[in-house]
Amino acid sequence: MFNGLYAAASGMEAQQMQLDAVSNDLANVDTPGYQAEVLGFHDLLYTSPGPQNATNFATGAGSAADIVGRDQSAAQLQQTGQPLDVAVLGQGFLQVRRPDGTLGLTRNGTLELNANRQLTTSTGMLLTPPVTIPNSASSDKLTIAANGNVEVSGRVVGRIALVTVPNPNGLLDAGDSTFSASAASGAMRPATGATLQQGALLASNVNMATAMGEMIDAQRSYQMDSKAISMQDQMMQIANQIAK
Amino acid sequence: MDPGLYIAAQGMLVEQNRQDQYANDLANASTPGYKSDRTTQADFGSLLLSNTSTGQPLGSIATGLRVSAVTTDMTPAGVNPTGQPLDFAVQGNGFFAVQTPQGVRYTRDGQFGASASGLLVDKLGNAVLSQTGAPISVKANGTVPAASLGVFNVTGATKQGNNLFAGTAAGQGAGSVVSGALEASSVDPVHTMVDMIASLRAYESGQKMISSIDETMQQSAQSVGAL
Repeated sequence: MFNGLYAAASGMEAQQMQLDAVSNDLANVDTPGYQAEVLGFHDLLYTSPGPQNATNFATGAGSAADIVGRDQSAAQLQQTGQPLDVAVLGQGFLQVRRPDGTLGLTRNGTLELNANRQLTTSTGMLLTPPVTIPNSASSDKLTIAANGNVEVSGRVVGRIALVTVPNPNGLLDAGDSTFSASAASGAMRPATGATLQQGALLASNVNMATAMGEMIDAQRSYQMDSKAISMQDQMMQIANQIAK
Repeated sequence: MDPGLYIAAQGMLVEQNRQDQYANDLANASTPGYKSDRTTQADFGSLLLSNTSTGQPLGSIATGLRVSAVTTDMTPAGVNPTGQPLDFAVQGNGFFAVQTPQGVRYTRDGQFGASASGLLVDKLGNAVLSQTGAPISVKANGTVPAASLGVFNVTGATKQGNNLFAGTAAGQGAGSVVSGALEASSVDPVHTMVDMIASLRAYESGQKMISSIDETMQQSAQSVGAL
């Protein structure tokens, strides 16, 4: 009875997912290296309503949405002039080691020097392989080349490795702007096409105008799905009035 | 018994099915490559009434109605740019083909991605096929040329859920593939809302019909008997 009630409800749930994704994007509009979430909508099973209808027609059970990945479009560069800020251009990630020893990937290039003069992310995770800056060198003398070579007064002291995976959408979001490789993403490999730019940061690639548009779209679709539910409700009420 | 009672009830049932179809369409207003449906109805055929003593035909009477089909409107919808390198849309007629465990299925939803082994796959991980039916590799820079995706004409396309259609491929489709874009859902929410209201009122008329036949029968039971 009234499968449409549930079809419309599933549509509301899908739009709720979209709203959640957009809110998360809007909250990260200033997070360096953040990539907007991309949702995939799809329809659900089609079933024949019942034996009383001799023909082979089927009605659908609504829709569902899943987060299918991250927006891979290029973000704008923010020039910061800080020698330890790097932006990853092209499809690539910095490789970091978390405090628990596991490897992570990040596009947030706000680097710092720790007490051992090793390059770390702003949350203290070591770059892998580690890059150690000699004691004598101040960070303003430091240059980072496009290929990742870290040089102090023309002498190479280390290299920032850039890695990627076959399927960036399969990366697990591990928080703190880092991702982990998974079975779905495939193993990490060197990023051939990606380069580094010193003194700049990748901005978040959330586009405010697009995000607002998506939000309005999701809200209105949610509203219309709820209207469909109230239509079905009215029909049940009408059916109940047959026998007074 | 009065056949009108049952004809009206069948009409209500048809409107109920139609309403379910509209709800499904509205729920898929954001589904890329979704094609909206139409519910069509037909009568069961009619009976010829004749005079029982002379045999003279008096005319025909309807015996009821049913949903005859739910057809899918395959008209191509608009294409929206998304900027994602692995989003594709067919401009014009034709479907992408994907290899599922149940066999080759067809889709207009080109929101694809890469698999761990570097193949172009759909959201369920099914490999997208080229015109020759071979899987497609994603280049090291994360892109796939639009021309490497196959576009197929499909006859007898029926919806399977997950944006997939079952059907029989019949040669290359006329449409061209564009990358960095997705086909929008063909659902027109305003039109669907209007259809829903019309269907609701038709349902209500069916109910009123039943009530008035009921009253007529009540009259015959009470007033005729009172004579």
